[in-house]
Amino acid sequence: MGVTKIVEIPVVTTEVPVGPQHPALHEPLLLKVYAEGEEVVKVEVNTGYNHRGIEKLCERNTFYRDIFVVGRVCGICNAVHANCYVRALEQLLDLHPNKRAQYLRVLAMELERVHSHMLINAVMAEIVGFETLFMQIMLDRERVMKAKEILTGGRVLADYMMVGGVRRDIDEEKRQRIRELLLKLKPRVEYYRKVFEEDETIVKRLEGVGRISYSEATSHSLVGPTARGSGVKIDSRVSDKYDAYGEIPFNLVTRSEGDSWARMMVRWDEALESIEMNIYILEHLPSDGNPVPDERRLPRRFPPGEAYTRVEAQRGELTYYVMSDGKGQNPYRVKIRTPSFNNIINSAFMYIGYSLADVPVMLTSLDPCISCMERVTVIDLEKNTRYRLDLKQLAGGKL
Amino acid sequence: MGVVDKHSLLESFSVGRGVVKPSRKLYIIEPGNVRRVFEALIEKFGYGGFYLSTIVGTDLRDEGRIRLDYYIVLLPEEETVVLRTFIPRENPVIDSLVDILPGALSGECETHDLLGVVFRGNPFLKRGFFAPRDVVEKGEYPLRKDSGV
Amino acid sequence: MKRPRLLGLVLKNLVSKPATIQYPRVKTPVEPDFRGVQYADLGKCTGCSLCAIECPADAIKMTPIPPEYEVPKTNPRRIYPLINYGKCVFCYRCVKVCPTNAYIATNKYDIAGVSRLTSEAFSLTTLRRVGS
Repeated sequence: MGVTKIVEIPVVTTEVPVGPQHPALHEPLLLKVYAEGEEVVKVEVNTGYNHRGIEKLCERNTFYRDIFVVGRVCGICNAVHANCYVRALEQLLDLHPNKRAQYLRVLAMELERVHSHMLINAVMAEIVGFETLFMQIMLDRERVMKAKEILTGGRVLADYMMVGGVRRDIDEEKRQRIRELLLKLKPRVEYYRKVFEEDETIVKRLEGVGRISYSEATSHSLVGPTARGSGVKIDSRVSDKYDAYGEIPFNLVTRSEGDSWARMMVRWDEALESIEMNIYILEHLPSDGNPVPDERRLPRRFPPGEAYTRVEAQRGELTYYVMSDGKGQNPYRVKIRTPSFNNIINSAFMYIGYSLADVPVMLTSLDPCISCMERVTVIDLEKNTRYRLDLKQLAGGKL
Repeated sequence: MGVVDKHSLLESFSVGRGVVKPSRKLYIIEPGNVRRVFEALIEKFGYGGFYLSTIVGTDLRDEGRIRLDYYIVLLPEEETVVLRTFIPRENPVIDSLVDILPGALSGECETHDLLGVVFRGNPFLKRGFFAPRDVVEKGEYPLRKDSGV
Repeated sequence: MKRPRLLGLVLKNLVSKPATIQYPRVKTPVEPDFRGVQYADLGKCTGCSLCAIECPADAIKMTPIPPEYEVPKTNPRRIYPLINYGKCVFCYRCVKVCPTNAYIATNKYDIAGVSRLTSEAFSLTTLRRVGS
């Protein structure tokens, strides 16, 4: 019997909302994914769920209060935010911290990089379905958190940067304890790197997913490990040589594959580099004077001028633009451009052609940080009055 | 092609020079020329030769104009340069870059939403990109100095 | 493809003690200089209000000291900084800017509770009551 009838099933474009509750990380972001069958044909990124008004808040507060405001843009990368802002202020004031302070700043920032990279790799393990690995990485991440607590006095929020230096010094005992923690951590990170490199499940899930080419990465302004996974050699630590990065030896990690797996491997390699750098810092810590400035004697008036500083945050190049009009105690304009802002919004092209199930993996491989991305504006129109959110509400960092 | 070529290209368009601390070269450019500068950069050096790092819009209320800074990172030297342009505050319109340089999307959308700059030819512009709905309904641009936000 | 050995790790974890801590029955180990609850020593405080001005979270309100306490002569306005720990972000800006080093820093971190916690009880214990 021959075929008498052919039924054609029309391919309909289905709209699948991914998020805003927990698209991949536990953060609010809506990806409107349009799919034909299983294949993604278009992605719209919807934002605005976590907008807090940091830039406007900075214009309202004094230069010094802003140091603590910008530290609460994001919980995971608070030290780099504060460092970038503080260095912009130092440029305006023409102030230079001493060597010991610069080394300690780098130490705080690199500890942060280690724990941030461990976190996102742990989350990736969870997304892949490898929850035991997630728990294991998070357990070892605690060591870094402890090291950060010893150094700065807070597990997550460091509040470590101050104009002209850092806010607390370390003594011999603390130096040894941090060093021991890092030496214990290093084989663990090497092991996890090996798991990500060799484990069949992880490699099969990540390899070839979300490929980004070199020119796509630059034309879409992607930064950080996302760009470095595509072979783009950008790292503001290398080019700007801010603080002590000019003196501490480290390698710029890039990979040529450009897929999700390459991005995660870049993160592991960078975490290992950071541990090496931290051990180097602890062994070569210069002692050229007191790194802690007296916060009561810092200059109160800022001359008019503008400064634009870059810092290599964990997720990529973070930039601060600070403008002072020289009239008051407050900055005239503070512009924060976080790495996630470019990486998430501009990367909608990446999802096209992959299957729906790959979307969370690709999103996680960008290391999205929504609280970094969204800032600005708080108003109450019912009462038609302004109000200031207290920082507890503002401090919606990651996790 | 070295970094000198890139600077001389930018210089040919500039009507003024300056420096943003710490020693970032600044070129002031006519607003009508901004798109042409980027077209020339792409044509000469390709997409791999630079990337647009950020767009900073500042409301200069006393001067009655809005300042737009395009921060570009030249590759592979990784040097940051600034293209600065001024547009009138009453009618802030400038050509969009999003069709030639997709990386401009995030910066243009944010600047439109928070400062009210219209990027001519950008189909993705919308209010409520970041600002909450009540602000949008009132037609306020939060980062303007007289917004009352 | 070679597989990294996860089995050994799993077995090790099966027999070892759990890594989690039964908070609040067991206290989390913190550093002695962890940034915990801080309050003003009213024997040193001059009521200058600098900490309240500098506080990035607006958590400090200058409050009159109740009349039943003896106040040192260096504090003529009889006011003291009352910290609302619900608002405080523990950045220790107040501790660092105080011109008389009046702040006492502790590593007390377990301040979650049903009532609103302020520095009133801590600060007032540093003063003597009138007549005592």
